[in-house]
Amino acid sequence: MFMNSNLFEPGKSKPERSFVQLAVKQNQRLDGRRSNESRDVELTFGTDWGSVAVSMGDTKVMAQVTCEMGPPALSRPNEGKLHLNVLLGGVAFLDEAYSTHDQRSLKLNSLLERTFRSSKSIDLESLCVAAEKHVWCIRVNVNVINHDGNLYDASSIATLAALMHFRRPDVSYKDGELCIFKQNEREFMPLLFHHYPVSVTYCVYKSSGQPILDPTLLEENAADSVIVLSFNSYQELCSLTAGGTAPTNAPTVMQCARNAAARCKSLLDFVRKALALDEECRSQGDRSVDGLVGLILNTEHKLSYNKLMGIQKQRQQQQLPPGENIELDNESSETPVANEEPSSEEGAGAPMDTSDWLPPDEDSQELPMRSEASPSKAGKHKTNKKTRPRKQNHSDSEEEARQYI
Amino acid sequence: MSATNTIVMPGERIAAIEELAKSKRVILGPGLRRLDDTVVASKAGPLRHKEPGTFWVDNYQRRYIPARGDLILGIVRAKSGDMYRVDIGAADTASISYLAFEAATKKNRPDLIPGDLIYARVLNASADIEPELVCVNSVGKRGKLGVLTEGFFFKCSLNLGRMLLRENCPVLAALTREMPYEIAVGVNGRIWVKAHSLKETVALANAISALEQSGCAEIDKICGNLGDFLQT
Repeated sequence: MFMNSNLFEPGKSKPERSFVQLAVKQNQRLDGRRSNESRDVELTFGTDWGSVAVSMGDTKVMAQVTCEMGPPALSRPNEGKLHLNVLLGGVAFLDEAYSTHDQRSLKLNSLLERTFRSSKSIDLESLCVAAEKHVWCIRVNVNVINHDGNLYDASSIATLAALMHFRRPDVSYKDGELCIFKQNEREFMPLLFHHYPVSVTYCVYKSSGQPILDPTLLEENAADSVIVLSFNSYQELCSLTAGGTAPTNAPTVMQCARNAAARCKSLLDFVRKALALDEECRSQGDRSVDGLVGLILNTEHKLSYNKLMGIQKQRQQQQLPPGENIELDNESSETPVANEEPSSEEGAGAPMDTSDWLPPDEDSQELPMRSEASPSKAGKHKTNKKTRPRKQNHSDSEEEARQYI
Repeated sequence: MSATNTIVMPGERIAAIEELAKSKRVILGPGLRRLDDTVVASKAGPLRHKEPGTFWVDNYQRRYIPARGDLILGIVRAKSGDMYRVDIGAADTASISYLAFEAATKKNRPDLIPGDLIYARVLNASADIEPELVCVNSVGKRGKLGVLTEGFFFKCSLNLGRMLLRENCPVLAALTREMPYEIAVGVNGRIWVKAHSLKETVALANAISALEQSGCAEIDKICGNLGDFLQT
């Protein structure tokens, strides 16, 4: 089913790496996408609350949310708990997937922790039933089913969608007695959010100044540095990871950030629309829900980003990109679908020319505060050349949050 | 080679071969095993037969099992002592000696670093010891073996690799009519290609990968698409 399921990780040999560098230099990608184009995102909801599978091309990630009653942490007696757990063991072909300190799963885990927990996206106080005694512990298990690049985005979308999809039982607490209601006694309740963060990944190469969006595993392994940005729907930065050795300058990071903010917003809109459709499906009765069987079914009503967001295959009328022609030979494999990165400034569908990547005129931008913040970010990155997370804690009020940005 | 339509399953006893074995000499290939007087299939797939008496099971497989004399593509993983460790996609990494390259001596060592792609031959392969590779033939010449630079490298199923290497396979000849290229096919399901430009290389790699689904029969259609694409 998956082409790279044979103890073989692409992008580990020199010819592959130099080939990808060359392709990026010539502004081409191996699957015919453009540098600012992402793969289609598909959501599949399970029959249970809070179980979601996300697929982006061949990357497939499943997230399952569970909850249980437990005592709170001593330092935060009136807050619920949120655990995020990433399992990479399902992908057998990855090198070192089974070693205990696998960098990859640690990185992924810390990205999710920063995106969802440190940015306080979930209202943990609402999960408290009795202070110092009973709180809800929410656990998100992210299971990587197949890895074809950009696990960061896939798992953050999966986590967000699973958390938004999840319903917890209602409880009552009277005279020290805890009562958890079943679904037929009282309706289950959704979790409360402060904001909804999603991440967007870029790869930067030494041979070209232009970052590429949504890398495949080959592109990711061949990349000199990977930038992961998480934004919420208010376009506030929740986490930034910029590692690697490629010389990234402030304008590049800023340009990534602007595009990422817009893409995060539309991804969230997509998740919301998909959830609404799922809700509609569920209200018609249990029989109409496919559940995760939908992953293997080739049904028409798949919840895909391109379909729900109404992104037309505009490029099919335009000139075919390299590689796509060949893809069409292969009838049984899915053809890459056009997916322009939505950009607020240009409007969706407009091609992005290289002048965009030149240093923008910082004073004229409508986001003056963020522009100020960027040189310090980039400066730190240059000195350290290591993963340098910038965390940002968001409080409930927007005004307070703005000070940080 | 004749392709019979018999599909055998692991554990299935194949009486036809046993009958034949009574009258003449029979060679059992991969996927078949002799248990005392009986012949039993150990893999699932179509049973193939080649005159006079060779039988094997052509099963679909992705995991390479090293066999002596195979030409394979491997990635150098590390140096260790006077050996390089090479990943060839088998259960175990293979090793290749410093001296197994053309004109290599104790003083004049080959210059390989981790990440290099090499085209090599399996010198010995046994279930109990790690496979050993060489990059020279019996008279010490490199022939076409050695380090592959540039180009693009991808993987396929073992069957596709074997199919491309078959003598009567029309694929490579048909692709030659579209453009000039270099190719190295390893029977471990790895293929290296190099054409004049990046666009051509990508197109070639995609065309070969497309064969995985369509098989040899559709090669004309694929070549047609390839030709159209290269002209745009």
